[in-house]
Amino acid sequence: MNSRRILAVVYKEWREIVRDRLFLSLAFVVPVSLLFVFGYGINLDVEHIPFAVVDHDKSALSRDYLHRYIDSRYFDYLGDLASEREIGPMLADSRIRLAIVIPPRFEENLTAGRSVAIQTLIDGTFTFRTSSSKGYVIAINAAFNSELLGDYISQRLGVPLETAREMAQPVKAELRYMYNQEVKSVWSIATVLMMLVLMITPPFLTALGVVREKENGSIYNIYASTVTRSEFLIGKLTPYVGISILNILILWLMVARLFGAPFKGDPLFFFLASVIFVICTTGIGLLVSLLVRTQVAAMIMTVVVTIVPSVLYSGLLVPIASMDPGGQFEAHMFPAMYYTDIILGSFLKGVGLEQLWDKVLALLIYAFVLWMTSFLMFHKRPKS
Amino acid sequence: MNNDWSILCARLSFWFSRLMAMTTKELIQFGRDILLLFAIVYLFVFDTYMAGNVTMQLNKAIVTVHDADHSAASRELIYRFRPPYFKLGGEVLDNYAGQRLLDQGRALVVLNIPSDFAHDITKGKSVDVQVQVDASNTVLGFLASSYTTQIIGQYSYDQALARLGVNEQALENVPTVRNEYRVWYNPNQKDAWFMPISELLVVITIMGIMLPAAAAVREKERGTIEQLMVSPLTPIQILLSKVIAMTLVILLGTAVSLFLVLHGIFAVPMKGSLVLFFAVTTLYIFTTAGLGLYIATLSRNLAQAALLAILVLMPMIFLSGAWTPPEAMPMGLRQAMYISPLYYFIEMAYAILLKGAGLDILWDSLLGLALIGGLIFGFGVWRFRRQFE
Repeated sequence: MNSRRILAVVYKEWREIVRDRLFLSLAFVVPVSLLFVFGYGINLDVEHIPFAVVDHDKSALSRDYLHRYIDSRYFDYLGDLASEREIGPMLADSRIRLAIVIPPRFEENLTAGRSVAIQTLIDGTFTFRTSSSKGYVIAINAAFNSELLGDYISQRLGVPLETAREMAQPVKAELRYMYNQEVKSVWSIATVLMMLVLMITPPFLTALGVVREKENGSIYNIYASTVTRSEFLIGKLTPYVGISILNILILWLMVARLFGAPFKGDPLFFFLASVIFVICTTGIGLLVSLLVRTQVAAMIMTVVVTIVPSVLYSGLLVPIASMDPGGQFEAHMFPAMYYTDIILGSFLKGVGLEQLWDKVLALLIYAFVLWMTSFLMFHKRPKS
Repeated sequence: MNNDWSILCARLSFWFSRLMAMTTKELIQFGRDILLLFAIVYLFVFDTYMAGNVTMQLNKAIVTVHDADHSAASRELIYRFRPPYFKLGGEVLDNYAGQRLLDQGRALVVLNIPSDFAHDITKGKSVDVQVQVDASNTVLGFLASSYTTQIIGQYSYDQALARLGVNEQALENVPTVRNEYRVWYNPNQKDAWFMPISELLVVITIMGIMLPAAAAVREKERGTIEQLMVSPLTPIQILLSKVIAMTLVILLGTAVSLFLVLHGIFAVPMKGSLVLFFAVTTLYIFTTAGLGLYIATLSRNLAQAALLAILVLMPMIFLSGAWTPPEAMPMGLRQAMYISPLYYFIEMAYAILLKGAGLDILWDSLLGLALIGGLIFGFGVWRFRRQFE
């Protein structure tokens, strides 16, 4: 390896990037705007679920019960319906996601000390929204029941209402959220979004680089030159790794300043781990560009290996722990998952190398394998 | 008169035969790229299949217990943390050990049962059970805390009833509201009925923007556009042929994915009209193709086009309710969502496939998509044509 030749390739590639003004600005605009839009846009706190009610009782107690839903910030009340028959079309049209049906004689039965069955209809298309709304409904219903029980105890045993309410709820859960006290999804999501952006943009920057030379034929200049395989690959990729390292710093600053996510870990460790991750992802782009012959194929292949896995198999939206073995295997195949753990560890948990060494090792192995494969696959003497 | 008519007919058929010839050229060119075909098959078939294995539910999350009481009452509470949502991960001797398991990600929930738990319950004193939840993943943290509160709430309610001496039979005579749920359209809340559809719609979107953009830019970058410009083809024919060829490819992929993976493997019900579904999909692909063409006019090479496509694609996918519920969006963005064609497409696709909705219900969404699609496609075409002048 000759450092002068590497520098020459780096310089040539750098000139090419700088001359393409639109490309150069997009290389920085795309990561920043993705983080910006997602950071403000993605929110998993399901609120404002539109719902309607069918109240056959129309009593004071039924209104009291329904108002617990109407006044909750989790639900948006869209009005009363006259009968159950109107629910079907509303749910099918997605105008409401939930409907509550109160039977006649709701108040009469409850005051007489009998149990009453009410019906909740939930739109099941979006499963996470379904389980969240179901959780809210159960919680509201349980709170109402425990109040009813308190009143009942107070009547039956003749104790004051305060004591009776205490007796109706002997065990309370005292929840403490670790690492993300307010369960602000913006914290955990904005930090993990850094992974998403660094997983998607470097491969796209890189993938089209080598294959463009192949498709345009300018790669024959390299074939005919004294530059060796490894010199060419290192020189070609250095500018892209450089751009990506700058992006790491910009994104880091945005996550910390703009979204206010706390950074509890070791900055140097996190920076180095991020650089390893970026070397991995540029390596993915490199490998793709060596595999294919055309730029279109390079583009679609990059989609295959970056966008989809970084969303589905990184732990960003879908928790890896609850995947079945097939999904978990796929998750372990991509570097995204390891880097997600490093990010969450560094930002929210404040753990360092001693807890995360295995993830860093996985990334190192990943980077090594990618670069070795690329090296072995790149020939200066094309077969055909 | 009759003569005019036949001339017009001849011209029209001539126009179409040229369009067809150009479309065939695009398809042949497309088919020659084996790796590209492979990637597209992967996205439509394998990726939608893998998405069916992904779940956004709590699946045997590890619960570790620090039980300082070791009574029958505390054990009864602990054993309520059962699969499918939870799995007991053993006991720890002190709080610190529990904290460490959370740090390492080896437990999601740590329960802390105080030492006089059973004693206080029998005394009628209210007891607090401390629950520590790892909320660094919001979905898991949210679901785990929601289910834990449910379990403890139900336990507490049962204990209160037990102290009153109310047994199962007498439960009818306690004033309670029993909430009976019906989950419509996906009664068992199978993620396999949700994620693969969402994945398919995302793949259609990605392809719908990228393929036409690539097809248009490539000619520019390689210089073959000069040949097309001196050919007798009109700009509209050049452009339509690209859009038609790519639409055919994407529709074929959609059909394969729908019948083979969604319906074949995951038994997703196809309740509504398939004709309507494919009509809507075609309209949607034309809309995204308009976006793709517009991107192509802005860029000189594919690298630029790819980055611009990402810049349009990712926000559109993320903010339209494919991966996160649209209700969870902040207010300003929920308004912006209404200009995203994907939002209408998602609503209609689910409504047709799972809910069996027809035109009578979906006409307004369809109208919305048609309007936005017409605008975007028209704009893309206008920009593309201007390049030839």
